[in-house]
Amino acid sequence: MAHQAHAYHMVDPSPWPLTGAVAALLLTSGLAIWFHFHSTILLTLGLVLLLLTMYQWWRDIVREGTFQGHHTPPVQKGLRFGMILFITSEVFFFLGFFWAFYHSSLAPTPELGGCWPPTGITTLDPFEVPLLNTAVLLASGVTVTWAHHSIMEGERKQAIHSLTLTILLGFYFTFLQAMEYYEAPFTIADGVYGATFFVATGFHGLHVIIGSTFLAVCLLRQIQYHFTSEHHFGFEAAAWYWHFVDVVWLFLYISIYWWGS
Amino acid sequence: MAARLLLRSAVRAAATCRAAPVPALTRGMAAGGIPTDEEQATGMEKKIMDAMKEGKDPYSMLKPKSYAGSKADPHLVPSITNKRIVGCVCEEDNTAVIWFWLHEGEAQRCPSCGSHYKLVAHELPH
Repeated sequence: MAHQAHAYHMVDPSPWPLTGAVAALLLTSGLAIWFHFHSTILLTLGLVLLLLTMYQWWRDIVREGTFQGHHTPPVQKGLRFGMILFITSEVFFFLGFFWAFYHSSLAPTPELGGCWPPTGITTLDPFEVPLLNTAVLLASGVTVTWAHHSIMEGERKQAIHSLTLTILLGFYFTFLQAMEYYEAPFTIADGVYGATFFVATGFHGLHVIIGSTFLAVCLLRQIQYHFTSEHHFGFEAAAWYWHFVDVVWLFLYISIYWWGS
Repeated sequence: MAARLLLRSAVRAAATCRAAPVPALTRGMAAGGIPTDEEQATGMEKKIMDAMKEGKDPYSMLKPKSYAGSKADPHLVPSITNKRIVGCVCEEDNTAVIWFWLHEGEAQRCPSCGSHYKLVAHELPH
């Protein structure tokens, strides 16, 4: 079957990198067209193409790894490094927004009243919904670890239950945060406070949704017997990402919600 | 008649060699419901897994063994054909690598440091 003398995976030619690049072009140009000419056609096309690309590219990876056995130990090692590097890049992404927050809040300008929170801003009580959100995400970190151990120990039912619980907790966080956004007494347009608050927590919320989706895909794969007790890197990657999302929230909570209130 | 049949089946039952009871499966689908690599690995992953179990490394995943490089203990260079390129780093941290073709047959020596290299056939599973 294989005529290679190495354990690596030389992938077959694929159209998805091209469709992904075209989607990127449509999304960026579409954004500009929407801003200036009020038309959303390019943006919509770009979004559809992006979703199709992601679905088909990742479906192909599942086929190559789980169904065709191309994910040998060195290949898996490469995937691990890849995920670690990606999460590291996301850490730097959030670092930027924390930098913006601390820049503005450590030396508040006279326009804000020389104080933080700025004059006129009613902050959210950190010991109400934000504290509940913290508990929800911490609990989801426990349940995802429970799911991992269940998989390693060959316990199918427990793995499915704990993974489902993790995803439900993720949805609960998103729901609570959406309620908070709706009820908040300030908006993104309310000076640098509103800007730093909603951009930082907003991107975090987006990452919670991405993480929940990744975990949901893992749940479907686990139900369909893709994972073995030794080899389940897709799940591990999702769990790493989820822990990253949890840690970012902890920093957000301490910095913006608590210290910043 | 019935008694004879009963006796016959009793004798047969008594004479049956009872095979050792199947060991209770503690892992995999029969136990908790999650397959093991043993049960489900396929393709290249399975080939490598099976080879490693026998102590073999057909796809050169492990670090090459270290040899003295002398006439009595030459560097053994596995090859899937009858020649392979060797890059000799004569002394540690040397930046000039000495490249040469190693052919099957008698051991060859590095033109710079004189270490002995010998080509050995390497079987690829197929």
